[in-house]
Amino acid sequence: MRPELSEDIGLCEYSPAPSPAPAYYSNRFAAEADSMELSLQLRTDLLDGDAWGEILSTFSETVRVGVALTDAQGQLLGGCQNRQPAWSLVHDSRSDWNTGCPFCLSTHQPCTAIQDALRTGLPVVVRDQAGFSHVAVPLSLGKHHLGAILAGQVFDLYPDSLALMRVAKELGISMPKLWDLARKERPVSKAILMAAGNLLAALGKAFVRQRYSGILEAQLAETNRYFRLMVESVSDHSLFTVDLEGYVTSWNRGAERMLGYTEVEIIGNNFSCTFIPEDIRLGVPEEQMNKARLTSRARDQGWRVRANGERFWADVNKTALRDDAGRVRGFAVIMQDVTEQKKIATALNDARQAREQLQERFLSHVSHELRTPLTAIYFFTTNVADGLFGDLSPEQHEQLVLALDNLEQLKGMVSDLLDISRVDAHKLTIEPKPVSPAKLIADALNTCRTSADEKKITLTSNVTSSLPFVWADPSRIRQILTNLIDNGIKFTPEGGAITVSIRSSPDDESLLCLSVSDTGCGIGPKNLELVFERLTQIEVNPKAARSGLGLGLFIAKELVLEHGGRIWVESQLGQGSSFFFTLPVFSLAKLCAPILNAANLNSGFVTLITIDAVAPHAIEQGEQRLEIQKVLQHCIRPGHDMVLPLDGDEGSPHRYFIIACSDISDSFVITSCVERELTKISPASKLKTVISSRTLSVPEGMCEPDKIAFIVTEVEHLVQDHRMTTETLQ
Amino acid sequence: MSSKKILIVDDDQQLVLGLSPRLKSNGYSVVSAMDAVSAIAMTRKEMPDLVILDLGLPAGDGYEVLERLRSLTDHPTIPVIVLSARGPADNKLRSLNAGAAAFFQKPPDNHEFITAIRDALGETPALSTFLLT
Repeated sequence: MRPELSEDIGLCEYSPAPSPAPAYYSNRFAAEADSMELSLQLRTDLLDGDAWGEILSTFSETVRVGVALTDAQGQLLGGCQNRQPAWSLVHDSRSDWNTGCPFCLSTHQPCTAIQDALRTGLPVVVRDQAGFSHVAVPLSLGKHHLGAILAGQVFDLYPDSLALMRVAKELGISMPKLWDLARKERPVSKAILMAAGNLLAALGKAFVRQRYSGILEAQLAETNRYFRLMVESVSDHSLFTVDLEGYVTSWNRGAERMLGYTEVEIIGNNFSCTFIPEDIRLGVPEEQMNKARLTSRARDQGWRVRANGERFWADVNKTALRDDAGRVRGFAVIMQDVTEQKKIATALNDARQAREQLQERFLSHVSHELRTPLTAIYFFTTNVADGLFGDLSPEQHEQLVLALDNLEQLKGMVSDLLDISRVDAHKLTIEPKPVSPAKLIADALNTCRTSADEKKITLTSNVTSSLPFVWADPSRIRQILTNLIDNGIKFTPEGGAITVSIRSSPDDESLLCLSVSDTGCGIGPKNLELVFERLTQIEVNPKAARSGLGLGLFIAKELVLEHGGRIWVESQLGQGSSFFFTLPVFSLAKLCAPILNAANLNSGFVTLITIDAVAPHAIEQGEQRLEIQKVLQHCIRPGHDMVLPLDGDEGSPHRYFIIACSDISDSFVITSCVERELTKISPASKLKTVISSRTLSVPEGMCEPDKIAFIVTEVEHLVQDHRMTTETLQ
Repeated sequence: MSSKKILIVDDDQQLVLGLSPRLKSNGYSVVSAMDAVSAIAMTRKEMPDLVILDLGLPAGDGYEVLERLRSLTDHPTIPVIVLSARGPADNKLRSLNAGAAAFFQKPPDNHEFITAIRDALGETPALSTFLLT
């Protein structure tokens, strides 16, 4: 039966045979390809004409159709396999043959079979105006369109002479030849063409995947080769891997050079052989492996030993190696010999320490030597001023008082020099204790009252009651406050005012904020930061006498920092200045936590021991407290036990609490230990021996912070109870 | 009652010159020694009621003097007040532990210093003692 001519004019598309949707996306391989950009190189490699040649030529000869490979735009890649006569007629007779589709004998409409096939992912069969048909089979990798395979250029119906004549005329080829060709063609049915298309699609998919994995494998092999070359050629770092137990699984040339073992010697041995024997005895290698397993990354520095026994200082970095499921399978170890750097650092550090020691010795010597003549001058002047050698005229007395003022300044500077030497030697020490901030302020105001009165400056304090105690060294806080107030007096004109205030720190309840405000000349914005620098004196007022060494605020800053506080100034030129500094509020928890943290709380027993300190005559209270604290500190294990000072009221005996963390539940045992120590250290003890003790048992199964909180609360209760009992007794 | 005797041990003659009038005006008699060896000899010879002791001395450290004074059989409890240019941070506690009654850094405040001497001599019992008994 002849087909209708009209149907054959122009390109027509056959509906593709129903076929299962491509299974590309269900496999991981394609999904991986989806997620990456295909480089031009990879595309070219995937559609390499030579590689495809064999499979396409076998197919074309089996099915007896023409087959060609094109890119996604329809450009031929390689030649056409099993060229059909129509191909030869057109392509051989015309060198300018350049239509969109190499298989179409048509010039009117471009053939969209390749685009349609790529869009739908299915083979598409088309017939051209001459009645030749072909199928376009899409080639894709994941979502990436690579190109197509064209198969066919055969009749699927008997040729129509009129249509052939039109095409021959259009294309400028010989009608008799075309007709002759058409007559000899054996038609291939549309169904066979479709089946061929489906077969090609399956073959194409398989071949693309095979080529893709082949390319990836080759790339991986290349990368591995480069990586291995790189690892191998690193010679100043040891790079090796160990398994979870620390057995060496790979070893580079750098490791061979640094540690002296060849790859053959070391593989399968435990890397603990690179540790020094002392560390091995202490179990350091195992400890480090445990740490690395827990943190999956560990860095340390320490001594290591080469195969020949030579030691070197190593910087070691361990990184966990994980498998696909995220399980740690081993560690990569990078080791560097930093012996020289360490030597240099040690030498520099030694030199710095020596310089600091020298400086400290010098400053402390200067301070010491200055004090001797200063003392003689002080005695001579006060002897005369106090009238030990007869009465003085008011003028004489006034002159001597001025001399004494200057002497006081000199004394302050000498003390500052000593403090500076201590700051530089990191020896500026504070002895914090719970202390009333109100009392510190009152003391400082009393000290400065005279010089303020002389300049008719009003000194006031703005202190509310019910303030918590601060954890601070009273003499140092007095020093800071006196310094700030003296500064205020220095820069405030006659008739001004200085106010010392105290309030809770707005942003942190664990801090109290003290301030000293004056109505003086103020500080310009650019000098605000500078005032706390060493040897700074801001030229604020040419009339204000330059006095002092410019160390006061620097020392104040260092002291505040040492207390864990912060110091700053707010000021505007001509509008006075306010200096602020913060001090930590005394908290039992803060005091206990570090020591309880260090102690082994697993034992579960904490014993509270109370000791009374009775003031003997003649020694001033402050000194005695200091001494008793020192004695008590000797009775305890530092880092495990602690002394809680508890200030009694003025004149009453002072009660001290010792917290002992112990694995002994019997408080009697601990108590007698403390008593024995007390008698040993202070035979004529000013301390009464232990007056009470009580053991707390720490509940099992609590986490560390909860345990600490529990103990602190219990201790607070005990201290409170104890205080009440003794107050009642008294 | 004869005046109580104070021995000043200090190698700085100027200090002795300056401090003596102050002590005398408070009713004490004063003797002095300039080094560690003569400090012990003077103590034996003069039997002072109190010693004011410098720490940096020729022919022996002040602490040695303090120790030897403690071991003198005829003066075991003689009160000693340390008056030194050295800082309290390192020396105050050490002096007190070695048996000194008080520590002062040079220059001391006259009033506090004399009060400490009186306290050490038991002339003005400390306020705290009243409160405690």
